[in-house]
Amino acid sequence: MQVKIGFEVHLQLKTERKLYCDCPTNYAEVPPNTNICPICTGMPGAKPMKPNRAAVEAAVEISLMLGCRVRTGEPLYILRKHYDYPDLPSGYQRTSVPLAVQGELEGVRIREVHLEEDPGQYDPVSGAVNFNRSGIPLVEIVTEPDLRSPEEARRFLRLLTRVLEYTGKVRPEAGGAMRADVNVSLEGGGRVEVKNINSVKGVYRALKFELQRQAERLRRGEVVRRETRAYLESQMVTVPMRTKELEEDYRYFPDPDLPPLLLDEGWVEEIRGRMAEPPHLRERRLVERYGISQAAARVITSEKELADLFERVAGEVNPLLAADWFRTKLKKVLNFLGLRAKEVSFSPEQLVSLLKMVESGRISREQGELVLRELVKKGEDPERILARLGLLPLEEEELGELVRRVMEENVKAVRDYLEGREEALNFLTGRVMGASRGRADPRVVVRLLREKLEERRARGTEPGEG
Amino acid sequence: MGTLEKLEALRGGDLSPVENLERILRKVEEMNGKLNAFLQLNPRAREEAEEVERRIRRGEGGRLSGLTVAVKSNINVRGLKATCASRVLEDYVSTYDAEVISRIRREGGVIVGMTNMDEFACGSSGETSAFGPTQNPSAPGYIPGGSSSGSAAAVAAGLCDLALGTDTGGSIRNPASHCGVAGLKPTYGLVPRHGLIDLGMSLDQIGPLAPDVHGLALLLEVIAGENPREGMMLGVQRVSFPNLEEGVRGMKVGVCPQFSSLTDPRINGLVEEKVEVLRELGARVEEVSLPHLEHALSAYYLIVSVEFFSATRRYDGRKYGKRIEEACGEEVLRRIAIGSYISRKEYRDRYYQRALQLRTLIRKELFSAFQRVEVLVGPTVPKLPHRLGEKLSPLEMYAYDYLTVPANLAGICAGVVKAGEVGGIPVGIQVQGPPLAEEKVLRVMRALEESGCR
Repeated sequence: MQVKIGFEVHLQLKTERKLYCDCPTNYAEVPPNTNICPICTGMPGAKPMKPNRAAVEAAVEISLMLGCRVRTGEPLYILRKHYDYPDLPSGYQRTSVPLAVQGELEGVRIREVHLEEDPGQYDPVSGAVNFNRSGIPLVEIVTEPDLRSPEEARRFLRLLTRVLEYTGKVRPEAGGAMRADVNVSLEGGGRVEVKNINSVKGVYRALKFELQRQAERLRRGEVVRRETRAYLESQMVTVPMRTKELEEDYRYFPDPDLPPLLLDEGWVEEIRGRMAEPPHLRERRLVERYGISQAAARVITSEKELADLFERVAGEVNPLLAADWFRTKLKKVLNFLGLRAKEVSFSPEQLVSLLKMVESGRISREQGELVLRELVKKGEDPERILARLGLLPLEEEELGELVRRVMEENVKAVRDYLEGREEALNFLTGRVMGASRGRADPRVVVRLLREKLEERRARGTEPGEG
Repeated sequence: MGTLEKLEALRGGDLSPVENLERILRKVEEMNGKLNAFLQLNPRAREEAEEVERRIRRGEGGRLSGLTVAVKSNINVRGLKATCASRVLEDYVSTYDAEVISRIRREGGVIVGMTNMDEFACGSSGETSAFGPTQNPSAPGYIPGGSSSGSAAAVAAGLCDLALGTDTGGSIRNPASHCGVAGLKPTYGLVPRHGLIDLGMSLDQIGPLAPDVHGLALLLEVIAGENPREGMMLGVQRVSFPNLEEGVRGMKVGVCPQFSSLTDPRINGLVEEKVEVLRELGARVEEVSLPHLEHALSAYYLIVSVEFFSATRRYDGRKYGKRIEEACGEEVLRRIAIGSYISRKEYRDRYYQRALQLRTLIRKELFSAFQRVEVLVGPTVPKLPHRLGEKLSPLEMYAYDYLTVPANLAGICAGVVKAGEVGGIPVGIQVQGPPLAEEKVLRVMRALEESGCR
């Protein structure tokens, strides 16, 4: 059965000021109802300021990242969308007509992108309203129903989140800044819209539930009505919304207090010129340019700063080695420490110098990993980390001395080896490694031991007699 | 004493702002009980006057230097009640100053108090106020006109030097005409609206009322000009009108047959006399036709109702205590109901879109008239005011607005100055000009004022 899934995704834009007034946007960090003014609380007579340019710019940049056509040179009206809810101080929400249309992200068509304002926050239990959030800019992204399964939908949302994070213009998803409405239909059934989903996980669960519900109805020969349902996070089910909520007519009309936006072609091109390379395109380019695997490229582009770091490093050391380290080691260390790539304190040069030590065989991969952990934690120079940890590799002369000593102290093992018991070599290697406190490369130790032992055999001297 | 003479006296120290205020307040005390022009007096007025007095001594009296200003109750003045003459907002104390109020304070104006009005500015008679109608001081027993009824009455009775009104479809010009004072609706986007409580946001403008044209020009100079903190301003930095005495010689003045055909012949008679005066003063009078003029009224009422419906959604009973539909008067409720009905998705195209098309048509018609003439002169209100308490149907009431709504729909400027009287009732003549032609409009008004009344 053909499944069709599409999204309306809302995300808060990261700006200093609200969309139609000068109030700061750090709504979660301040006491309730402190970041407010007559405008964002809709006091009688208050008039909006012109839309915050930084917010418009962010919406345009996101549109461009999603491959949309930005509607330049035509008036783009800000509409009033009327509905009655305690968190909406004026009784209407301002939402733009589409600023951009006809985009595409990995095979999913983007229908349009809007700019909106967030309402306040209402607590139905206490009945209190906090208007700190009222007027925070939001971007709304609407897709065509091009997704075919909950898994695809989940994957798409992760891709989308990655694109949006790349712009650096949205608030991090943590803190419930992403909200999605999903429409889903099965062949032969009506289109169902599910509202109020707050996470990627929620979307996946809501879709799983909804598809099962619809399939079951169709199997029993029942009709799947076209309707709007709400997702209940706590129970992981969807329920029909009250009829009143469905019959609502928003009575859209252009806000008479605001002129239409006019996006200038030159300005849009300027934004395009300085915006980041979209992650899905960058992923493809990394594979082609550096010959690395798709899997490694996916990990590397998961964060813009990680990909930036990779490209700095890949010019200095073997890209395949670098990609392998990024995928299997660096990302692991970052995750372990709960760090994002943009938060690290070490420099690309420091990472290059570490990878060069590994590449040249000066230190072992195991030692390299120890150094990497310290590097990420403290941003210290790799040479100094080696010294501090006592990991500086032993010069061959020192190592030769160690080997000689170990052979003297383990006469029996030497004899065993010379008598043809190869496993004695392992024992001796372990002794040398122990004596070097991990500073020796086991491969070098084996080589040196074998040399010395063979020397002894050639001389025919009995141990302890020379 | 004219406004400019009084200003001279204040600046020169012959009249102190406190003395001026006290004289005004004595008159208010004496007359307001009967006129019901003020709903609330400013308890800090004396302090403000004293402050201006100190400023004058420092040579910083500002352009108003202690002139007293009455404020319509739909404009926010911090600490005073902006009730809109409605039960809905009867307990609403403003938390901020409207931009025009900040400007008046900066220039040394003293706020006398908040004036009566039609509820939420919905009305043309002053009778829809929840706090009782305003009397017409110039024609006792008759309506003062509206909706800026209290501001016009206060000016007419000398209860203030200047007043702020607001004009969405004639609400400054209509009461100015009935009360025999001067009033001006500025070009849309010339005067900041931040702090003006909405009726129809695409039509509303704050404007001055004054006993004379110089007073009008003075207050407009103070309140007009760009406010970068709102979206619909025209970008004009400031205005000044130094040439009001230059007369009308050579000016092309338009008259329109559609004006007179809708109007009481006695009013037409007064207007024609005044047109004759302008001709004698050297103006070139030309006839222009505005064939769609009479459609303006229906377009206006559709648009204003939709915008008003939207603007009143915030009075949901949560923040201001009363849900508007439960606490408001009949006329306000009627407009909300109409606005709610015609903004419905299924009717949008049939009513609201058509109204917007008509608006465009009327704007074009007026703009093309202003290609031929510099100003249009004509009646303000097509009929004489009715007696207070007389019952009119809504349509009869709306008919008062026939000649004033086109200026709001087109966003142009229009002023009113007294032309004469019919049976003791003042009648104002309306002068309309293209956007930002305030100077010319005021110049014509000044010439008419100087020519005197019969």
